[in-house]
Amino acid sequence: LGFSCFIVFVSPRSEDDARKAHTQLNGQKLLSGENSVTLYLSYVDSEEARVHFPEGLALVKDFVSPEEEALLLAAVDWSTSDQGNEAPQKALKHRRVKHYGFEFRYENNNVDKDKPLPAGLPEECLAVLHRCLQDGHINVLPDQLTVNQYETGQGIPPHVDTHSAFADTILSLSLGAKTVMEFRHPDGRVVPIVLPERSLLVMKGQSRYLWTHGITPRKFDLVPACETQSADHSEPDLGSHGDLTLSKRGTRTSFTFRKIRHEPCCCAFPSACDSQGGSSPSPPSQPSLPSCHANATRLEEEYVHRVYDAIASHFSSTRHTPWPRVCHFLSSLPPGSVLADVGCGNGKYLGVNPQLIPVGCDRSSALVQICTERGFNAFVSDALSVPLRTDSCDACISIAVIHHFSTQERRLAAVRELLRLLKPGGQALIYVWAYEQEYNKQRSKYLKDHNKPQNGEKSKDKLGESQEPHEEPSVLTASHLDNNHTGDLKDDSKMTEGKLSVHTNRTAFTSQDLLVPWHLKGRKTRVEEESSSGLHTTKSSDSKLSPSVDTSQVPGGSSVPVFHRYYHVFQQGELEQLCIEVTGVKVQTSYHDQGNWCVILQKE
Amino acid sequence: MKLLTHNMLTSHVKGVTKGYPLLIKATEVKVNEVDFNPKFVCRMIPKLEWSALVQAADQLGHREDLPGELVPDYEKNEDFLKKVHRVLLEVEVIEGCLQCPESGREFPISRGIPNMLLNEDEA
Repeated sequence: LGFSCFIVFVSPRSEDDARKAHTQLNGQKLLSGENSVTLYLSYVDSEEARVHFPEGLALVKDFVSPEEEALLLAAVDWSTSDQGNEAPQKALKHRRVKHYGFEFRYENNNVDKDKPLPAGLPEECLAVLHRCLQDGHINVLPDQLTVNQYETGQGIPPHVDTHSAFADTILSLSLGAKTVMEFRHPDGRVVPIVLPERSLLVMKGQSRYLWTHGITPRKFDLVPACETQSADHSEPDLGSHGDLTLSKRGTRTSFTFRKIRHEPCCCAFPSACDSQGGSSPSPPSQPSLPSCHANATRLEEEYVHRVYDAIASHFSSTRHTPWPRVCHFLSSLPPGSVLADVGCGNGKYLGVNPQLIPVGCDRSSALVQICTERGFNAFVSDALSVPLRTDSCDACISIAVIHHFSTQERRLAAVRELLRLLKPGGQALIYVWAYEQEYNKQRSKYLKDHNKPQNGEKSKDKLGESQEPHEEPSVLTASHLDNNHTGDLKDDSKMTEGKLSVHTNRTAFTSQDLLVPWHLKGRKTRVEEESSSGLHTTKSSDSKLSPSVDTSQVPGGSSVPVFHRYYHVFQQGELEQLCIEVTGVKVQTSYHDQGNWCVILQKE
Repeated sequence: MKLLTHNMLTSHVKGVTKGYPLLIKATEVKVNEVDFNPKFVCRMIPKLEWSALVQAADQLGHREDLPGELVPDYEKNEDFLKKVHRVLLEVEVIEGCLQCPESGREFPISRGIPNMLLNEDEA
């Protein structure tokens, strides 16, 4: 197939206009002589597009004058012939680094506090530091400086500055060129920030202790054409930006000022804190399978509940087609049956059979909100404790829910709770994602779309289709978040026992417990119900495999936020085995439906 | 939250044995117009706890002349069915809370949605 794809960014006056344009134009064919062009549209919700700075982060523009910038840059002597050990310089894989005050050791990401470097901080920095004090960004003068010089195409992998080495506020001055720095939260949120030349980045609190920060090695960034904010501390309001430009990276030198910490860190983020026994600061902290109830709830909070609440409206827009066999179950229920849909999501099944008396519940208030807007009866609750009376429902369904519980006990408890609600003789239908995506030599839709030709994309950037069987298209990502340049930091790309790996969408599962990416933007528009070869829109910011032009960023320079949802995918027979453990229950039917294992149970 | 939903909800606080029905404390109530479907209402009636429905309607001040007991032969009584329809499907609590009659624990209702999530220690 040989055809071209052009991407155009348009800024309509309002979201309403965007929606109308979408309805009227999407899928339309334009004729130009012999050629035909099909328009595919997608729009971004302005609410979603707004970039929210991580807590504690501030960006101060024009912090130093061009003259001061030149002075500071000149103060660094990069010549390799250094006298003794005055300011050790290392040419790391991606960038040049020089330390002052104390040497930062890359072997353990820490500082040797007993061996201060003789030179101290360069005199030229004093004026800048005093300005930081005066402006209230810091209370204490920093005593450590790391100068990083990045050529075009160089970066630094995501990391959190070691808690035990440095105190709270970290200051970073960008000189010589602008760049884009990405902040990543453990729950998968990614916030890209443009750091203009001569700006000061102040990292405190969560942005310093919990979010990782990194610079993707790239030659170009997509940034707003004009930065019109006058206020120094404002967060970019993408609603007012229409223009984008490709900005070639120049040589950027950062001056990062830190204060050495002499007592253990006692921050509020123990999970990322090496003083408090947390995992050492590393790229997106990889969760492990929970060993106890408390960890299970915490894992599910981070990798299920928070995610659904964040992606609710996008998620809902991809959940519009009820699965036929579920509909069949619902349609076969006697009129007037009370139906409980536990984990009802956006209420997709609540209206399928109008002769029923349905009630839905979901853990996500954002999704329940959507149900209510659609006129369904729903409430917020946990599937492990449903506020309905025992023996009160004629039928229950639990579609694509139980696979979000992170322990066997909790999955069993969910099945038990479902059965408790049923009247004796009542039926329950359960669907969970299957480990075996191919069954009876039939590949599930989830897998099938992986191989469809996609606008001539390279396989790495191939647009995936639905994230789950039957669902809307999304984007492929790399299966590990950090790749080529982990050499600079500790090697933590090794998978340790029990760690959850990130799944590559549209491929066969290699593990039963995993994190499945969800790309918030890249909302595809369909011409028809079938998942089709789609737009080249968003590329995951996780795929740092090549420093190529990242044309996927949406206006304002923000790339697609990626969320990770935890799943335990079930092997053949596993769901049945689980149900059999519940007393008073009979497994009536058990089947595989498009990448799911399914059971129909009856309460005795 | 419609009263149909309320009729199904119960308190699930650990240790509570008499958690049904929940008391309603409403600060904002709306009455919507919903298409009347007599067949649908007929089907719902046998599934309801009648006294809980009447009590709830009372608490909201929307009982009007809903009888305290189920009327015999209600299937053909359109008048009665309309009253049930109104109370079950048209009256909606937008803001307020549901209170467990035994423990006193309150579950908030906001934007028409009851949040029945329990804390770790209550589950």
